[in-house]
Amino acid sequence: MKLIATIAWRNILRHKGKSLVIGIILFTGAFLMTLGNGVISGMARGIEKNIIEGFMGDIALISTAQKSDNILLNLMGASIEPINTYKKIKPVLAAQPFIKSFLPVGKNLSMVLDERSDTPGFAYLIGVDFAEYRKMFPDNFTVIEGSYPAPGERALLFPDFARGEFYRYYNVWFVPEGGGAVKANLSKEALADADHLILSSSAVLLGMSSGINTTNDIRFPVRGVIKYRALNQIFGHFCLVDIEAYRDCLGYFTAADMAAQVPKEEKKLLGLEGGDLDSMFGEEAMVVADYKKAPKKIAAEKAVPSDTEDGTYNVVFIRLVPGAGYDAALEKLNRDLAAAGTGVKAVPWNKASGPIGGMAVIIKGALFVFVMLLFSVAIIIIVNTLSMAAMERASEIGMMRAIGAHKTFIAGMFLGETAILSAAFGGGGIIAGVIAVRVIPLLRITTANDMLQILYGGNYFNPLLSVTGILLTVLQLALVTVIAAVYPMRVATGITPLDAISRD
Amino acid sequence: MDIINIKELKKDYPLGDTIVPALRGVDLTVAQGDFMSIIGPSGSGKTTLLNIIGCIDPATSGSVQVGGREITDLTDRQITEIRLNKIGFIFQTFNLIPVLDVLENIEFPLLLMKRSPAEARKRAEQLVEEVGLKDYAVHRPSELSGGQRQRVAIARALVTKPDIVLADEPTANLDSVTGASILELMKKMNELENTTFIFSTHDANVLKYACRIVKIKDGLIEKEPVAA
Repeated sequence: MKLIATIAWRNILRHKGKSLVIGIILFTGAFLMTLGNGVISGMARGIEKNIIEGFMGDIALISTAQKSDNILLNLMGASIEPINTYKKIKPVLAAQPFIKSFLPVGKNLSMVLDERSDTPGFAYLIGVDFAEYRKMFPDNFTVIEGSYPAPGERALLFPDFARGEFYRYYNVWFVPEGGGAVKANLSKEALADADHLILSSSAVLLGMSSGINTTNDIRFPVRGVIKYRALNQIFGHFCLVDIEAYRDCLGYFTAADMAAQVPKEEKKLLGLEGGDLDSMFGEEAMVVADYKKAPKKIAAEKAVPSDTEDGTYNVVFIRLVPGAGYDAALEKLNRDLAAAGTGVKAVPWNKASGPIGGMAVIIKGALFVFVMLLFSVAIIIIVNTLSMAAMERASEIGMMRAIGAHKTFIAGMFLGETAILSAAFGGGGIIAGVIAVRVIPLLRITTANDMLQILYGGNYFNPLLSVTGILLTVLQLALVTVIAAVYPMRVATGITPLDAISRD
Repeated sequence: MDIINIKELKKDYPLGDTIVPALRGVDLTVAQGDFMSIIGPSGSGKTTLLNIIGCIDPATSGSVQVGGREITDLTDRQITEIRLNKIGFIFQTFNLIPVLDVLENIEFPLLLMKRSPAEARKRAEQLVEEVGLKDYAVHRPSELSGGQRQRVAIARALVTKPDIVLADEPTANLDSVTGASILELMKKMNELENTTFIFSTHDANVLKYACRIVKIKDGLIEKEPVAA
């Protein structure tokens, strides 16, 4: 072994030029691979932080009637099926030790109507209990104008990005009630018309949901303008509204409806003791409709009832306890939800987030392919260089074989040379890559591009490298070394003593 | 005692569609401790004969026994072991490992035999002294003259105490004085270690060193001339 190492090392020094070429390739490959792995890890972490921690949790519960699992950015804003069984869902979720927190929300598309424009705009609505939303996603946006709504307040939080889009198409600049245009927050187009801005502090939203013909147009006061911490161009399409107003807007049953319209003593009369909402659409439906109409307006005008959980939702976002087994959690959750007759299913975040999750996978795949391509090229160059070196050294190798060196010795010698080069230059590349991964976040390289933000792993380029990631790179490098050495080894071991003599 | 026993040895080389016979049926026996020269014109088959005896080139047919063992039907691993343990080689072009110094080149076969580094070094030091290169022990081949390199090759060929040392025209690339000194050294080692030496040459001046001369022509051994 020492003999092989000695000969291999001295051969490297003897053929400095070739060794340097191979070394530079290995260094570059290892460096880019380390950095690539860092970017992939950072991206995975960034996606987790941005989407899971900041927008929709690890798992989403959606109605079993929902055709597509993608409920975030669905084609043409296809409606999300309502969930009317949250009262059944809640105890199931509360009983799971692997669930850290959960939040029921409404999510659908709405038209944005404005009397000054003939053409309606569109916005995604997320109906939430503002207090609970802040607990679930504490730092995913900042209120840049206005204020955060008080608990139970009917209000709309308008995203900064959507505001810019609305101005671009409808020339209306939304501002919070009682506020004016803040110059620093004006979009480029709005800034150009700063003196003639048409300001609006409320928006009329008309819910859009397939299968429901009774959506309402409701004027929402703009309580605040928000800016999402990351992926603002994607998440910035989502307006946050209070859940009761959302339900009103979508024509869903509000909690107020439920509380007011079906008092206990009347349930008996209506035959609704079992809480079967469907029966309301039976023969007694006319009675319920009449009954519903009167208290609804009252409910809309007074404070939201204390228990908003009675009404309709579309999605339940779930955060898992750190370290919880994802697949096992998903499986158990689906089992228990089905057993409880909730009519919902649990889907993973990457499916629920649709194109964003898919985009992340594509970018990760592309990066992986790029790194592998780089190494394939490196392997080809190393194979060629070493094979040529083997042929040039035919006399020396043949003589070694003549005086008793086995093929394994010759193979070991070539593998040793490649291994030393890999260890020295590849190792250097890995160290340089690790340093780069550590230094890059300190440079705070930012981007406004959302796709790059996914790649960056956050607001700024933030590659991340774990010990496992480094070990993976070392393993990949070892694999490259072995693959690159195989063919030259075959060439070298194929040289016979007779070849050496013939050359002489 | 015969160290080499060859019967009806034939070797053909394919050349395109034709077969070129190099050896046409050689019978030869070599005794232990012989200092034998194979002579003959270029293309007569002497190098081929040496290569087959040295397990470098396989025979087409016939029988070749080295140290009592038939070598024509062995695997590559077995043949390599024979080359390592039984045979020493001295090549025409001094073939040394360029990245190793004199001592390392000499001890190389012993390390292949898995001898301890200390034992190998001791034997190499003994031989480097015997071939008169003690002062050049840590020099690389590129720092040596042709004659010095051939001395290193002789030391390396003898380091494992082989039964046979094969030398293919060992003096061909040396001037006459150096060539003579190399042959004297080989002769000395032959006497010192009782090692069988077989060397090919077509230099008539070197024949005076041989105890036995085998003449080969057109792939056949002619009647042996009287030894010097």
